[in-house]
Amino acid sequence: MFDRTNLQVLANHARAAAENMAHTLHRTAHSAFVKETQDFTVMLMDRSGATFAVPLELGATWFPGLSYHRAIAMVDDYRPGDVAFTNDPYSGHVATHAPDTHLWKPVFIDGEIVAWTGGHIHNTDMGGAVPASISRALTEIHQEGIRFPPVKLVSEGVFDEMILRIMSTNVRKPDLNIGDIKALVGALNTGERKILAMVKKFGKTGFIEGVAALLDHAEAQAREVLRSMPDGTWEFADYADEDSVEANPCRLKLTLTIKGDEAVLDFTGSDPQLGSSLNVPSGGDPRHTVLLVGVYYVLYTLNPKIMLNSGLTRPFTCITPQGSVLNPVHPAAVGMRSLTCARLRSVIFGAFSQAVPERLPAAPAGNNCIVNVMTTDERTSRSVIAAVNPVVGGGGAMPHRDGTNGSGADAAYLKNTPIEITETETPVEFVKYGLARDSGGAGRWRGGLATEMAFRVFAPDSRITARNRDRSFFRPWGVLGGKAAGLSDMVVNPGTGHERRLGNIDTAVLQPGDVLEIRSAGGGGRGDPFQREPWRVAEDVRRGYLSPTAAERDYGVVLRDGAVDEQATDQLRARHNPSAGHFHFGPERDGYEAQWTPAAYYRLHVILDALPIHWRFFVKTEIFRRMKGRSGADGVQAAFDAVCERFPELPRPRPVREAAE
Amino acid sequence: MDGAVAANEARSKSDWKVGVDIGGTFIDFCALEARSGRVASLKVLTTPEDPGAELITGLALLAEREGFDPTRMTRFVHGTTVGINTIIQRKGAPLALFTNAGFEDVIELARLRMPDMYSLFCSRPDPLISRDMVFGIPVRMRPDGSESQAPDMAAVTNAVTVAKAKGAQGIVVSFLHAWRNGAQEAAVKAAVTRLAPELFVFTSAEVWPVIREYERSSTAILNGYVHPRVSSYLTALEERLKGRQVPARPMLTKSNGGLMNAAEGKRACVNMLLSGTASGVIGASWLARQAGEDKILTLDIGGTSADFALIIGGEAQFGTGELIGEFPLHIPSVSVSSIGVGGGSIASVDAQGVLRVGPESAGSTPGPSCYGRGGTQATVTDAMVVCGWLGHSEMAYGQLTIDAGLAHRAVSELAARLGRTVEQTAQAILDIAVSEMFVEVEKLASRAGVDLRDFTLMPFGGGGPMLGAFLARELGMKRVIAPRRPGVVSALGGLVADLRGDFIRTIFSPLSAESLPAVREAFETLAQEGRDWLAAQGHDAAAELNLFCDMRYLGQSYEIEVVLSPEWLVKSDTAAIEQAFHRTHEQLYDFHDPRGAIEIVNVRLSAIGAGPVLSFPEADEINAPASPARRLPVYTGRTVETVDLHDRGTLVPGSTFLGPAVVVQEDTTFAIPAGTQARVDRHLNLLLTFAE
Repeated sequence: MFDRTNLQVLANHARAAAENMAHTLHRTAHSAFVKETQDFTVMLMDRSGATFAVPLELGATWFPGLSYHRAIAMVDDYRPGDVAFTNDPYSGHVATHAPDTHLWKPVFIDGEIVAWTGGHIHNTDMGGAVPASISRALTEIHQEGIRFPPVKLVSEGVFDEMILRIMSTNVRKPDLNIGDIKALVGALNTGERKILAMVKKFGKTGFIEGVAALLDHAEAQAREVLRSMPDGTWEFADYADEDSVEANPCRLKLTLTIKGDEAVLDFTGSDPQLGSSLNVPSGGDPRHTVLLVGVYYVLYTLNPKIMLNSGLTRPFTCITPQGSVLNPVHPAAVGMRSLTCARLRSVIFGAFSQAVPERLPAAPAGNNCIVNVMTTDERTSRSVIAAVNPVVGGGGAMPHRDGTNGSGADAAYLKNTPIEITETETPVEFVKYGLARDSGGAGRWRGGLATEMAFRVFAPDSRITARNRDRSFFRPWGVLGGKAAGLSDMVVNPGTGHERRLGNIDTAVLQPGDVLEIRSAGGGGRGDPFQREPWRVAEDVRRGYLSPTAAERDYGVVLRDGAVDEQATDQLRARHNPSAGHFHFGPERDGYEAQWTPAAYYRLHVILDALPIHWRFFVKTEIFRRMKGRSGADGVQAAFDAVCERFPELPRPRPVREAAE
Repeated sequence: MDGAVAANEARSKSDWKVGVDIGGTFIDFCALEARSGRVASLKVLTTPEDPGAELITGLALLAEREGFDPTRMTRFVHGTTVGINTIIQRKGAPLALFTNAGFEDVIELARLRMPDMYSLFCSRPDPLISRDMVFGIPVRMRPDGSESQAPDMAAVTNAVTVAKAKGAQGIVVSFLHAWRNGAQEAAVKAAVTRLAPELFVFTSAEVWPVIREYERSSTAILNGYVHPRVSSYLTALEERLKGRQVPARPMLTKSNGGLMNAAEGKRACVNMLLSGTASGVIGASWLARQAGEDKILTLDIGGTSADFALIIGGEAQFGTGELIGEFPLHIPSVSVSSIGVGGGSIASVDAQGVLRVGPESAGSTPGPSCYGRGGTQATVTDAMVVCGWLGHSEMAYGQLTIDAGLAHRAVSELAARLGRTVEQTAQAILDIAVSEMFVEVEKLASRAGVDLRDFTLMPFGGGGPMLGAFLARELGMKRVIAPRRPGVVSALGGLVADLRGDFIRTIFSPLSAESLPAVREAFETLAQEGRDWLAAQGHDAAAELNLFCDMRYLGQSYEIEVVLSPEWLVKSDTAAIEQAFHRTHEQLYDFHDPRGAIEIVNVRLSAIGAGPVLSFPEADEINAPASPARRLPVYTGRTVETVDLHDRGTLVPGSTFLGPAVVVQEDTTFAIPAGTQARVDRHLNLLLTFAE
């Protein structure tokens, strides 16, 4: 048994090793993806492949609970100096889309593996149908680039040149991939060295027992947080605006059950796997890290001293039906799973928000839109491809303060690029980059404001992609009387005669002089806005966060020359009826759910679950096509009957069970 | 040294040169009597309510105790916290920002990314200028420096009226692409000065004309924010010194480790914000060079934090983006990493029975329990007292006393919860505190790509010597060098510093034969600016001009500093510049790309006017075992041992002893673990070497 008095010392040494690995990779990597976007992770793993330490300052926030055990088991005969790797989302379930290349390395003591070092980089391109290997429109994994199943990349210190050649032959930027992979191998070696130093300090047995104690400690901390919550079951659903080019919503449904110090996250009722690349390949692992990212945020928010390692995942069990968007089967495409993951996080936040309403914020904007421009430099006639600023929105209003403006909550890791740098390197001219007035959900505490960015191009046929755009229809929700936030949008030539609204579309072609404006959603509000102190409302108006009209309409605060008219405000507020219910979703979702009631969704899933997996998305789409004028469970059944009539080849569903609800 | 300087030196043999560092709790003095080479040091409590008063008190004390004569003070260098405190306490001037319409939120959005990124409650600090004091002016510059929209002067006039009505005392003007062409900013500044001469105005290009709008704007805002306080403080100080017939004009230490005069300090206030930590590193590198040490890791532990810096080749390292309170500072500064663990960090036991240290701190008020000022929680300092390393002599020049009973009481509460002895618990607290620092130092080393086993640790400050040896061993370092006066290293840093001004031009173009003339022209302009600057500081001797280029491979998003030889520019030797870049990239990042296109982002110049050559007394080493003043019980990790206590004042060059041992002196206490060989060198540094 490891001496717990010294556990923090071991934890610090483990974190130092992880930070060291991260800095080594960050320092020696070649691509902007690793160096600037910091889309990478590194970790130390125990003998089974469960992560026990991650860096806290560099890299992405997704993988502190990742376990490599299934991928590790797919390679035989590890020797000192070996490094294995994979980028296949369907083997071993460590990679969650093809650009993510995961590596792991055994650490030997006396001929025995005592630990592993591992990590991933997001490769700029892995080949396939489109540059960067990611597009929502792709429909099968084979279009998303070359895939390597788990295999040794380095054997006893020597790179397998054949693997590197095969990769180089198949990808668009081989130098970047190879450079980054070698940098990651360097980081794994650093981690190995640091683990050996820890073994020297703590002894082999002490190290192994200490690592187990670190996992146990994180588990105990997570259980303590769960115990602080009431027992119960909470349901929540949220939607991505579009499931594919078909543009029907994609629904994620969660039933959260907390009992004592354990929780079950049942995602039954989430949509079937999609004919687009929005699927999240969890492999059905009940504790897959990609399903639990929202949980890490909740735990860390409720206890900032929590240790981030895979011990945190132990009290949680996820249920993801096979063939669903959260557990797709091969060969479903998965490249854009990050959009769905953002919704997955908001579903988790919504469920926990009902369990501990007094301790968690409203919904963050939840659309981490990455903008790329492909245009021509008129001075050189050369084509230019560049990333411009991410357009992310505000955090949800917190129990004790307003949501953070312009980004925050689960988007805080994103960084922007200075306008002066972008304009100098890329022939675009920014017209605006700032916060959007009236975009934060109204509340006792206001949601964080949205960002809006507008720029002009100068060359014909300039192509813009705005990946991960969402929340143009379903608003980030408010809680406890707080209102839903403003919607995201994308508009060509706003405020002119040639204005074109693009809604949720994530690409645009611009002509010389065209201005594209991209706006994110805002963060949801918290608490009754009519309870917000009038001086705060007046301050928001003074700062341009809020219009006087919205102050009066949403907050019941009347301003005269910038000052609060107390009498008029009192009168207005006296007539106010606070809204009931835990959530406020806004008119769009209320309208949608008047047609697509819970019973309608239940019926839809009963119908689809009875079909072979490869029929489900097709049938979902065909039912949606026939829902005009229909609603509820009967409407869905009628639409399905019409689908059966149109497609007699449709496999005969088993008899439909009666809906329980 | 040229003749004029030598003559000056000769004339000033009996003069006093004084370095002063004003910290949070104490103000430190390091005074050199030039003729005898005698060094006097002193600590006085600060008087935050009347900054500058403690300085006069200290000088009076120096006169009383050391025979210091203010009328013979020919050099007076000081670092002040007036600027940084103004920011941390948010007590600066009400300002307005004039910026491009459409970009009013740049200072709030900053660079988006936030620390604490796993928390749904993460947030950015409120900007120093709130959004209602930001005025969008219709105006626009293209990235090539051509004007696409002239400033709308009607909007400027209106903004000045409103800003004044809202109580602005100063205006910061920051427009896009002013790094390339500052004319629009200058025109608006002229208009504001005409319309409202009572307002002070700073433009972003005049403060620091670097590309990147957030970084440039925030630097100009920090400058404006502290300007009135710093300026009035310096004016008052000049008056006070004049009143005491001090011949020296006061010089100020800067974040870049150099000096400037007070007139410059009133205008370029932003340059002094991190001067305290910077001059500590400058003092340490001076001591390191004197002792012949090449690679040093400095460690300065205070009540609430520990600061680390690397010294390589005897020189401090520089960077940008150092934090001032919550705000990053983007002018070149001495690189110092900091972690929130210090002597006052509080130990606690969590719900799972795991012992932790920090991040909560007892600070200097109430301070550790053992100070007897009302603190009741166990801190790192209390753990040192419980183990017996600390508390055997007066501390901080007699201004603190240690109550071991209070320390015991605080630690024993935790011990009861852990089921350990009080000593075991105290030892665990020390181990954890050291491991927290270990994380930070490991990060620093891996960022810099250095192997700490090649380095020597130099602890200073009041707390560095307490834990320095333990940290060095944890890091696998072999040696520790502790200066004779660890408490006044920052003050010494000011005393020995050079005048140093930094200048920048952003070029932002590919490196090629075509772009070289622009680089050469920029260098010539900067060289002239540098010479003029030195002359304005009153420097009439030779100038040292160091040229740097910030360069990167095309497509990279941040640049690295490459030292340039002016000769390469004169000869248009593109190849030599390319080689230098590839070489530096290889050194820093372990790879370079011979085919990669290179981009020049900035040309920078440091103009250095060498400070006086100071010589401190040296003595020959007499190899002799030191004789301890007494012996006392110390818990050294597993058992209580009887260890030697040495009085630092009795140690002479060549004195040797073995650890475990305690060394006490007026401003600090050294804990020296078992397995250590200690020796005093001819500069009176204490050298510790660990057995393998």
